[in-house]
Amino acid sequence: MLCELITNNTHNNNIALYKCYNANKVFYRKTAFSQWGNKVIENEKKGYEWFYKDSKTLNEIRLKKKYFYELEIPQFKGKKLPSESVISGNEETIGRIIDFYKDRWSTNDIFAIHGDMALCNFVIDEKNIKLVDWEHFHYSGKEYFGYDIINMLFILIYHESKRTFSLSKKNMDFLKKCYVQLIEGVDSSNKMLEKPFQNAKNYLLNFTNRFLVNTNIYKKFVLSSSPLSVLEHFDSIVTR
Amino acid sequence: MLVPQNSYTNLSSAAGLGLIGFNERDIVVDYGCMCFDSFVYTSRLSKKIVGIIPSYEKLNTLQKRLVEEDVKNCDLVNANYNEQHFKEVFDCVIINSFLEQLLIEVKNNKSIFFDNKISPKKKDNSLEKIRIGFFKTIYKGLRPGGKLYLSYANKFRIRILLLFVKLAIESFFTAFSLKKAQNFISLVKAIYLFLYYLLSQKGFEELLKTNGFVDIEKYAVFPDHKFPLKIIPLSKLDECSFEPVLYTSREGRLRRIFAGVKRRLERLIFKKFRFFNLSPSFIITARKAS
Repeated sequence: MLCELITNNTHNNNIALYKCYNANKVFYRKTAFSQWGNKVIENEKKGYEWFYKDSKTLNEIRLKKKYFYELEIPQFKGKKLPSESVISGNEETIGRIIDFYKDRWSTNDIFAIHGDMALCNFVIDEKNIKLVDWEHFHYSGKEYFGYDIINMLFILIYHESKRTFSLSKKNMDFLKKCYVQLIEGVDSSNKMLEKPFQNAKNYLLNFTNRFLVNTNIYKKFVLSSSPLSVLEHFDSIVTR
Repeated sequence: MLVPQNSYTNLSSAAGLGLIGFNERDIVVDYGCMCFDSFVYTSRLSKKIVGIIPSYEKLNTLQKRLVEEDVKNCDLVNANYNEQHFKEVFDCVIINSFLEQLLIEVKNNKSIFFDNKISPKKKDNSLEKIRIGFFKTIYKGLRPGGKLYLSYANKFRIRILLLFVKLAIESFFTAFSLKKAQNFISLVKAIYLFLYYLLSQKGFEELLKTNGFVDIEKYAVFPDHKFPLKIIPLSKLDECSFEPVLYTSREGRLRRIFAGVKRRLERLIFKKFRFFNLSPSFIITARKAS
């Protein structure tokens, strides 16, 4: 079997991700390199179990508990977007993801948070949307519905503004549209969507331990290191 | 608390060993023990690991680390590489920083690594071979089907080539012989073979084949074989996409500029032109023929 090392010890997670080529089969393997890595891999498996609980896909995701744990994940068919994806050009995909989130997250009895939802963690084809990288998965209250999408939108804003130094009016209108799409039908007890970006940051900082992050949280999530003024600005854009 | 504290030892620098995979029944030997993390990592996943270390100081340092890590399934031997120490055969051989080790040893005693440096006559139209005594020792110690893992920094290929050429020239001038012309032809041949075996990937592969290994896989390693962040199998280049490794240092403007330039340069060399022969390091895996 031939392997390619894709990433290693990203944000000090003590885990390496390999792409493995075995005859005609291609799959991914995550391997821990410490007891911390074991904990994260076990947590990731729980995330897959939550997400694929009624799906045959779950049988293809295998956790091997050696001294250092290994998690095998099949290669899902579909389009994968780069980690530095921006809003422009991906509007349709983002819209589909929000619909998908509303459908899957509101119908699941036990509410959970993916923790690192970003465009690069989706594998999308015409019919299906698959979600990978569940390292930061955790159970949470339903009142935090929307956290993952807000986090994803902020990552997109971050990359968009890195490229163009500012957001266009078209981008801002699109963000507003995404917000409207997300809050439609949401319970009044929701603690996230009144001031989405500020509340998402507060959630991240108040419940840091739930995210199983083994580095400074400010380095891992762009949302956590963004100043209040910036978050207020984007909150006003989407909620106006 | 925003920065979690933990007491776990992170052995991520051993990620290269994930390419071969260990079995809990494996008995492994590590020549040189150049990477302590690799040694500890292997001990966790195999039945037993033996470390062969020529340097006594290094052996002491490793011993202390092994006590700290509570590693018990290991033996350390203070010896040279070319000595056959064990009656048992190994399932796997690890040689980290192979060329660095070769360089040090050749400087100390070139006879350790070479026997019949150049065979005098061509046989069956095959190329003349250089044989490395070290490889022969490894071959003898491996069980049939046993695995070889070898890593090295690319820049050492040039250094070691220059050293070999220097040694060959020195031996040409010091040798007492009336047949200088014949010796000169041997010298030219030797330099040609050093160039071929050490500078070309194909040559290096042939060197391993000559020494009895099969299923040879070569990998380009970024940024360094001592802590790989990206490893690409050269036989799967069409299916692999290259993105430069992200260097996490954010401190200092100059450093960030340097990292940015390096990233762009890497993108050009490896992504656009796919000159993977220029990769900073390589890993080679192979198997002893059954």
